[in-house]
Amino acid sequence: MSTTQLARGTSPGAGVRTAVGRFLPVVLTALVILGSWQLVVTVFDVPSFIVPAPTGISSAFRAEFGTIMSASVVTVQEVLLGLVLGAVAGVAVALALSRFPGVSGPVLTAAVVINCAPIVALAPIFNNWFGVTNLMSKAGVAAVMVFFPVLVNTTRGLLQVSSLHLEIMQSLAAQPRQVALMLRLPNALPYLFNALKLGSTLAVIGVIVTEYFGGPSNALGVYIAYQAALPRFEFAWAGIAVASALGLLLFGVTSLLERLLMPWHESLHDSDS
Amino acid sequence: MTATRTATTSVAAEGGPAGQADRATPRRSERLSATRKRVHNAAGAALVVAVLAGLWEGYKALGRAVDDVVPGTKIAFPVATDDLSMPHVWSILGALVEPARRGDPMLLGSYLLGETGVTLRESFYGLVAGSSLGLLLAVLFLHVVPLSKGLMPWLVASQTVPLVAIAPMIVIWGGKAGAPPWVAVTGIAAYLAFFPVTINTLRGLKSPPKVQLEFMRSVGAGRWQVLGWLRIPAALPFVFAGLRLAATASVVGAIVGELSAGTGRGIGRAILTFAYYYSNGPEKLYAAVLVAAAAGIVFVQSLALIERVALRHRHTR
Amino acid sequence: MSEAAIISVRGVTKQFTGGNRTVTALEDIDLSIRRGEFVSLLGPSGCGKSTLLRILADLTEPTDGTVSLNGKTPGAARTDRDYGMVFQQAGLFEWRTVQRNVELPLQVAGVDKQTRRAKAHEMLDLVRLSDFARHFPWQLSGGMQQRVAIARALSADPEILFMDEPLGALDEMNRERLQGELLRIWSDTRTTVVFVTHSISEAVFLSSRIVVMSARPGRIAASIDVDLPYPRTAATRTTDAFFAKVTEVRTVLHGVPAEQAAR
Repeated sequence: MSTTQLARGTSPGAGVRTAVGRFLPVVLTALVILGSWQLVVTVFDVPSFIVPAPTGISSAFRAEFGTIMSASVVTVQEVLLGLVLGAVAGVAVALALSRFPGVSGPVLTAAVVINCAPIVALAPIFNNWFGVTNLMSKAGVAAVMVFFPVLVNTTRGLLQVSSLHLEIMQSLAAQPRQVALMLRLPNALPYLFNALKLGSTLAVIGVIVTEYFGGPSNALGVYIAYQAALPRFEFAWAGIAVASALGLLLFGVTSLLERLLMPWHESLHDSDS
Repeated sequence: MTATRTATTSVAAEGGPAGQADRATPRRSERLSATRKRVHNAAGAALVVAVLAGLWEGYKALGRAVDDVVPGTKIAFPVATDDLSMPHVWSILGALVEPARRGDPMLLGSYLLGETGVTLRESFYGLVAGSSLGLLLAVLFLHVVPLSKGLMPWLVASQTVPLVAIAPMIVIWGGKAGAPPWVAVTGIAAYLAFFPVTINTLRGLKSPPKVQLEFMRSVGAGRWQVLGWLRIPAALPFVFAGLRLAATASVVGAIVGELSAGTGRGIGRAILTFAYYYSNGPEKLYAAVLVAAAAGIVFVQSLALIERVALRHRHTR
Repeated sequence: MSEAAIISVRGVTKQFTGGNRTVTALEDIDLSIRRGEFVSLLGPSGCGKSTLLRILADLTEPTDGTVSLNGKTPGAARTDRDYGMVFQQAGLFEWRTVQRNVELPLQVAGVDKQTRRAKAHEMLDLVRLSDFARHFPWQLSGGMQQRVAIARALSADPEILFMDEPLGALDEMNRERLQGELLRIWSDTRTTVVFVTHSISEAVFLSSRIVVMSARPGRIAASIDVDLPYPRTAATRTTDAFFAKVTEVRTVLHGVPAEQAAR
C-alpha cells in the first residue's frame, strides 16, 4: 500500500555512509594537495614570492593573529552592512516592481545588462563620497553588487508563479493580497536565497577589492595589499586565507539560514542532482 | 549542488525551482512576437537608464535646494550633492569631448577608449585561456569520476571565496618572471573566468535525460560519440551561460589586475589615476567609470549576441 | 427531471481567437446536472470537455450562453466557494505541509485556525492520509499527492466538485485504486461531481451519467445513464453489465464524426 510507503527516504545508517563517501575524497584531496604543496616547496626550495609553504603561512598567521583578526572584524562589518543594504534595497524594489508586470520586463533587462558592468570600478567614487576610511565606502560597493542579483531573482520569483497554482488560487476566489502572501512570496524565497548566496560571495569580493583602492589601515584588503607590497608574502597569503574563510563562512551561514527558513528545501535540492 | 545553481543565478534564473509547464515549439508568429518583446525590453532598458540619470539630477537638485540637509532636521543627505561629489550628467558626458590633459590635443573620450581597448584585449585573452581550461576540466571531470569527486567540492567552495584577493600575488609572479604587466593581468582574468565555465559546462554535460543516454547506448555509441553527438550539443546553452558569467568576471579580473599591477595601461589604471587627481576634475573619474561600465556591458552583450546566433534553432524560453 | 438542476448550461459557445483564426471550441452546449449526480464529460482530445469545465468553474468565460451554478452565476459561485476543484496535476504548494495545503481554501476564506485544523484532520481522514499531515508534498507519491488535492478541494465543504482528468497522470494500478476511493468519498459526502476524462472504462466505472462529446466543434453527442448499482467494487469491472456499458459508450463515441477517436 502506498499509504505506508514514503516516496523518498533513507535509513540513518545509509545517511552516515553516504556522508563518509562524500567527504572522504574531499578531505583526502585537501590533504594530498597540502602535503604535496609543502613537499614541493621544501624539496625544490621554491622562493616565497611564488608560493610560501603552508607551514610558513600558518606561522605568519599565528605571528600576526591579533592584527589579522582585528582587520577581519572591520572587513566583516563592511561586508555585512553591504549585504544587508543591498538585499533590503533589492527586495524592496522587487516587491514594488512585481506590482507592475509591464514595467518589470524592461527594468529587469536593464538590471541584467548593468550587472555585466565591472561594478568594482565604482570603488573610487564611493571612496570620494563617503571617505576612504568610512565603512560606508566599502559597504556601498558591496551593496550595489548584491543589489542586482537580488533584484533580478526576487522579481522573477515573485512573477514566475506556476499557472496551475494561480488557477488554484483563482478557483478559491483569493484576493490579490492573499495571492501575494500565500503564493508569490513563498514562491520567491528560493530565488531570493540563491541570490543571497551569490551576494554573500559578491559582498566579500566587493569589499576586499574596494579596500585595494585604499581603506582604513586596519582592514583585511588593505592588509593583504600592503603585505604583498612590502613584500612579506607569508603574511599576504595568511590574509588571503582568512578572506577565503570569510567568504566560505558567510556562504555557509546563508545556506544554513535557507535550510532553516525553507524546511521544504529538500525537494528543491534533490530535483537538480 | 547548491553552489552549482548559484553559479548560474545571476543570468539564468530560468533554471530556478519553479516547475515550468512544457511549452510547444514556438511558431513563427510567436518568434516574431518574441523579437518584438526583446525590442520593447531594450527600449525600456534605455528608458530605465534615462530615468536613473534623471534621478541623479533630481537628487542633486533637491540636495542643492535644501543644502544637503533634510528640511526641519539635522539629518544630512547620505551623499553630498555639490559639483565635486556629484557632477552634472552633462558635465560628465561633456568631459569626454574635452582634452584629457592640458596641452595635449587628445580627447578624454578617445584616451579612455584606447585604455579600454587594452583592458578588453586582456579580458578577451583571459576569457579564451580561462574558458578553454574550464572546458577541458569539465570533460575531464565527467570521465574521471574520482577526480571530480575529490576536486569538485573544492571548486564549488572556491566560488564562495574572494578569488580576486590573490590578484596582487599573480602580479608579483608576473613581475618576477619578467613578463610585461598585461600578461599578469590576463592571467588574473583567465583565473576568474575558468570557474563558471567549468561548473556550468559540467552541469550541461550531465544534463541529457536518461532516455537519450540509453538510446545512444542502445545503438552502440562509444563514449566519445556520446560526448560529441549528445552531451556537448546538450551542454551548449549551459556553456554559454557560463561564458557570459566568465566574461563579466574576466573584465572585473582585468580591472582589478591593472590596479594591483602598479604600472602599465588599461582602464583600471585610468580610473586609479583620475581617482588620484579627483579634486582637479571629478567628472573625469565619472567618465572613466562610465566608459569601463559600458565596455563591460558591450563585451558581455557581444558574447550574448554570438550565443543567440549559435543557439537560434534551439527552443527559446 | 424530477429535481431542480444544481448546474445548468444554456446555449454555451466558446471561441478562441489566435492571430487571424477563430476556433470554435464549444458550440451551443445545453446541459443540466442534478444534485448528487456523478457526471463524466467524456470525449476525444480537442472536444472542449476541459474548456466546458473551466467555464463552469469561472476560470474562463463563455463567448455566448448562460451558466448557472446553485442558482448563481459561476463568478458568484466561485466567490461563495460553492465548488472545489481538482486539476490533472495535484499542484500542491511545495512550501506547505500536507495539512496546511488542505487548510488553504479555508485560510483564503478567512476561517480561524482551530476550525481549519479540525477540518483538515477530518478531510485527511476521509482520504486516509492522516499519518502524513506533517509531511511535505515531495515526500508523497503521485497518487498520495492527488488524494491531498482531493482533500483540499473538499475542505471547504463545497456542494460541487469539479475534476479535470485528476487521475490522468497516474499509473493504471493507482488509477483503479483511486477510482474506488473516489466513489467512497462521493458516497460519504454526497457531493455533486463533474468529472472530465478520456477513458471510457473510468467514466463507466465512476459515473451515474456520461455526457459524450464530439470534437471540432465541441458538441454534446449523447447523454448515457449508467445504471450499474452502487457501491461499485473491483468486482464490478468484470461483470457483463460493465462490459456491455463500455461497449455501448464506445459505439456512441466512435459513431461520432471525430477526426481522432478517444485514446
